[in-house]
Amino acid sequence: MTTQTETRSGVATGTLARLRARNPYLNGLLSPRGITGLIIVGLLALAGLLAPALADFAPTAQSDQALHSPGGAHPLGTDEVGRDLFSRVLHGIRNDLAIILIAVPVAALAGSLLALLATASRAADAVVQRFFDLVLAFPGLILALAITAIMGPGFLPVVIVIALAETPGFGRVLRAGILVQREREYAVAARVGGAGRARVLIRHVLPNAVDPLIVQLAISLPVAVFIEGAMSFLGVGVRPPEPTLGSVLSQSMPYLSSHPWYAAAPLITVTGLVLGFTLIAEALNKGVRR
Amino acid sequence: MNTLFLPPSPGPTRRGVLRAAGAGSALLTLAACRSAVSHSESDEVGASAAPRRGGTLTVAHGVDFTPALLFSQSSMSLPQRLVFNTLTRYDDDLRPQPELAESWEVSPDGTTVTLRLRRGVTYHDGRPFTADDVVFAVENLQTPERSAQLRSTAEAVTALDKRGDHELTLTLAHPVGNLFDLFEFMIIPDRNTVEEALTGDRLVGTGPFRFDGWRPGSLLTFSRNDSYWQSGRPYLDGVEIRVITQTDSLLSSLRTGQSQLSLGVVGRDAATLKDDPQFTITTYTTGNGCSYVGANTAVRPTNDKTVRQAIAWALDRERIVEQAYGGFALASAAPWPESSPVFTEDNRTHYRHDPDRARELLRQAGATDISLPLGYSASPGNTVIAEMVQYDLEQVGIRTELQPYDPANAQRRLISQEMPALWTMNHGFAQVTPSTLAVSAYPFNEAHNTSRFQSAEYTGLVQDAWRRADPLDEEALDLYQRIADVLLDEAFIIDIAVLDIVQVARADVRGVTLNKFNYLTLDDAFLA
Amino acid sequence: MSAYLLRRVPSALLVLLLASFVIFLILRLIPGDPATTLAGPDAPPGTVEAIRAQLGLDQPVLTQYLDWLGSLLTGDLGPSYTIGGDVAELIGNGFGATVELAVGALLLVVALGLALGILGATARSRPVRAAVRILTTTALSVPPFVTGVVLVLTFAVALRWLPAGGHLSVLEAPDLGAQYLLLPSVCLSLPSAAVLGRYLKDGLERALDEDYVRTATALGVSRRRIVWRHALPNALPPAVTVLGMQTGHLLGGAILVEAIFAWPGLGQLAQQGVVLRDYPVVQALLLLLVAVFVATQLLTDIAYAWLDPRIRW
Repeated sequence: MTTQTETRSGVATGTLARLRARNPYLNGLLSPRGITGLIIVGLLALAGLLAPALADFAPTAQSDQALHSPGGAHPLGTDEVGRDLFSRVLHGIRNDLAIILIAVPVAALAGSLLALLATASRAADAVVQRFFDLVLAFPGLILALAITAIMGPGFLPVVIVIALAETPGFGRVLRAGILVQREREYAVAARVGGAGRARVLIRHVLPNAVDPLIVQLAISLPVAVFIEGAMSFLGVGVRPPEPTLGSVLSQSMPYLSSHPWYAAAPLITVTGLVLGFTLIAEALNKGVRR
Repeated sequence: MNTLFLPPSPGPTRRGVLRAAGAGSALLTLAACRSAVSHSESDEVGASAAPRRGGTLTVAHGVDFTPALLFSQSSMSLPQRLVFNTLTRYDDDLRPQPELAESWEVSPDGTTVTLRLRRGVTYHDGRPFTADDVVFAVENLQTPERSAQLRSTAEAVTALDKRGDHELTLTLAHPVGNLFDLFEFMIIPDRNTVEEALTGDRLVGTGPFRFDGWRPGSLLTFSRNDSYWQSGRPYLDGVEIRVITQTDSLLSSLRTGQSQLSLGVVGRDAATLKDDPQFTITTYTTGNGCSYVGANTAVRPTNDKTVRQAIAWALDRERIVEQAYGGFALASAAPWPESSPVFTEDNRTHYRHDPDRARELLRQAGATDISLPLGYSASPGNTVIAEMVQYDLEQVGIRTELQPYDPANAQRRLISQEMPALWTMNHGFAQVTPSTLAVSAYPFNEAHNTSRFQSAEYTGLVQDAWRRADPLDEEALDLYQRIADVLLDEAFIIDIAVLDIVQVARADVRGVTLNKFNYLTLDDAFLA
Repeated sequence: MSAYLLRRVPSALLVLLLASFVIFLILRLIPGDPATTLAGPDAPPGTVEAIRAQLGLDQPVLTQYLDWLGSLLTGDLGPSYTIGGDVAELIGNGFGATVELAVGALLLVVALGLALGILGATARSRPVRAAVRILTTTALSVPPFVTGVVLVLTFAVALRWLPAGGHLSVLEAPDLGAQYLLLPSVCLSLPSAAVLGRYLKDGLERALDEDYVRTATALGVSRRRIVWRHALPNALPPAVTVLGMQTGHLLGGAILVEAIFAWPGLGQLAQQGVVLRDYPVVQALLLLLVAVFVATQLLTDIAYAWLDPRIRW
């Protein structure tokens, strides 16, 4: 979505107005809510991308200066083994984004495929639906504990847990969309007119069922940040010493009362990121619903 | 808002009234009463207060009781010496003192030991304690299912012969130098209820407190044993152990006086309490185990002694002690705490932080560009150690990839010899008779250890030391030093630091002690 | 109604059976079993095998699974392997604490949700509506571990009004127990309160837009009466559905909140059980959670049908 706005922002305003009218996503995104979200996420993402250039220290470089207060060479202070928190938070954003940008599309793809499968036959539908029920019935975090216990902590288990937890959302939304669109007059007409099932699906049904999927994508982003953080808090997050926002925050917990500033930066960053994502999701939702 | 949360109001009447108010009016009573956070005014007491009867001591602990591990050394060994007794108890110089065994006699060749047991001792259910109970206790520890670390010592007992109800003779397969470690370790349970003890339903012993109940995850309660064999003891009416798994809550429960004692405060948190006059902080030279880096001698390049020694020189132990343990540990290249007969400053500082020397050794070994896995048991405390070890090794050119294992998996890999080239963990058993380390702590075991290290010299020294009739004579001490020399030279277990047991007590708590296996002992404890 | 139930119940049972199998299998895939946990780090050779035999872990996996299903049917869950005590008792204790937390949170969800919804839909002042909107979005999006840290920093560290964590039963000591309960239940309730508030606001706005409301307004019926007597009853049924779905979320979220606030509930028990490989406890517990989730969904559908007179069977 970011690319959409970026590539189109250069176009003359007149074209923009026309595009806005035609494209409900763009229309939603360009609301005050959407712009605020885009700015927050954009700034944080930029900081994460430029982390190696912006931070003077490597995120894993330790020193004698443990739990140094913010200021001087360490604008956000240092952690318990003397690592620069500014660097750790920036690299944390980077790692979080990497996780999210892999896991969420994977979930979207898996969910969509399952939805297509489910709408193809009644039997498949029953199986897929039970699978979704099962995943949703398990408390996600216990699933996370179990998967990590089997695989060992790391980047991959976090991605898998997020993807698994978010697949039913995508699947259900698309399945419902296809079922509704399929019975619309235009689809029925196409079928009656002799178009094949696949052709009707691809040419007529899918393009119209995809709207809620885009919104679901935006809703899934903050949830992914949440799952990463929660897994770090339960001690099954990304493998140390690599920082993520959740791991930096959870490491600060023992020092809440003695060094409260330690928690401040990761706290504000996580909040910003999820808030930004949520605003974008809401803006998109509004645009589509209008 | 402040008026809503008054300091705790003392006196039972107020509390009674609140109880009577009932749960239905929880919000109303909230406005009128105690706070869970404000400081309680601790009474100023003179340092020389005389023992006082009465009161309940509340102990806060970060780990829940695991009854299945009752006969094993675990991270929760507080109830052992409250409910039960042991046969003997070491003094500060590792000389055994009487408990349930009043006196003992070791034959000159060291293969038979005669124990005379205390008379007039009864279990909490009124049954008298006899020699049969000791026989049961030893046989109990011989059972593999109890997973007692001192099983090898218990198994060296080949026969137990009663002479009457209060005397028995132990026949040993060979002289056993650490027999009194077993007597310090082995609680004497009621043999009729041991299955119920292992599920936590019922703990029956001869100790100063009766076990009233256990609510998993939150609370253990004990009340005074009025017919305790030591007359006039204990002073306390009862003991409560509150399980508080979160550090901040544990500290705040101490600050507010909801609990008065904790042995579960980790070093870096104790550092924040150091200057608070409300608390007395005690550390025991017995130590609370050691953190170490283990090396697998069956894989390259850690099969090379020079590489292992390089690792030993690369570690900045002082920084680890400072940053990870808040200063509450002793940087040491050797496993033994200050109280051990084999502790020397030379052993302790055999390896210091010397990255140049480490690099030089690695060059000599031809191991310049190496990358190794470093396993560890993933808990917040251990993660910091692993990260620091990783950083120190990186400075001398050894790249490592951290491999977090969850605790059960780490344990499985440790005892099934499946650790990678390097790992970091904690070990115990260096605080008692020095030979115990090599027969009861798995990482050091001469026959079978995680490092897959074996040498005829090490095995010979360990067996000789273990079979000493007198574990503290000149010859024994010499053997211990030679074991130390082998351990330091071979560096298959590279010790980092001996951890302190940190005891945080509110100022009015007196007379708390621990035995060598960290069993909380409150016979003489009182609230001043 | 019975036809409806007949259709829904077997499918729920199927999910339960599937779940029981998945749970059982996943646990056994985790490296390290109860025997290694009990053996400890210094176990002499042979210890693990002895304990395994004692616990029956040397039996074929299918036998163990069927045994477990059998024990579920008889209702005797047996003793735990590593934590200690009876499985039923452990779960009972944890359940008590979690229910305390969930009930506290649920009360807050209803109170906050109603407030946010009604205020958001009916407040005349723009700043108030904007504030409600911002509050709702924030509460909705900020994860519990962030709100948890903020709450602890504010009320435990800075102000020292409330404890940072821990638990005392509200039934045993209502005054202290409530203080322990407050922060975790606020933390747990916020996202669900926001969801409820938003649905209620939408529902109210739609209801207030209906013709009969305009008619009532024209006839001079007071706005308060219109909101409480006409609009709210119409907006409630979908909100109840949401509340039901959120109960499931509350249980899931409780795991994290319990970890943050050291609350000895089912979440902590589950985590401890996984860490210590206490198969019987984790199996029973997970199945219970799945059952609760499935049952809530079922009940929600029924409640919805009952509240909304348009749905007939």
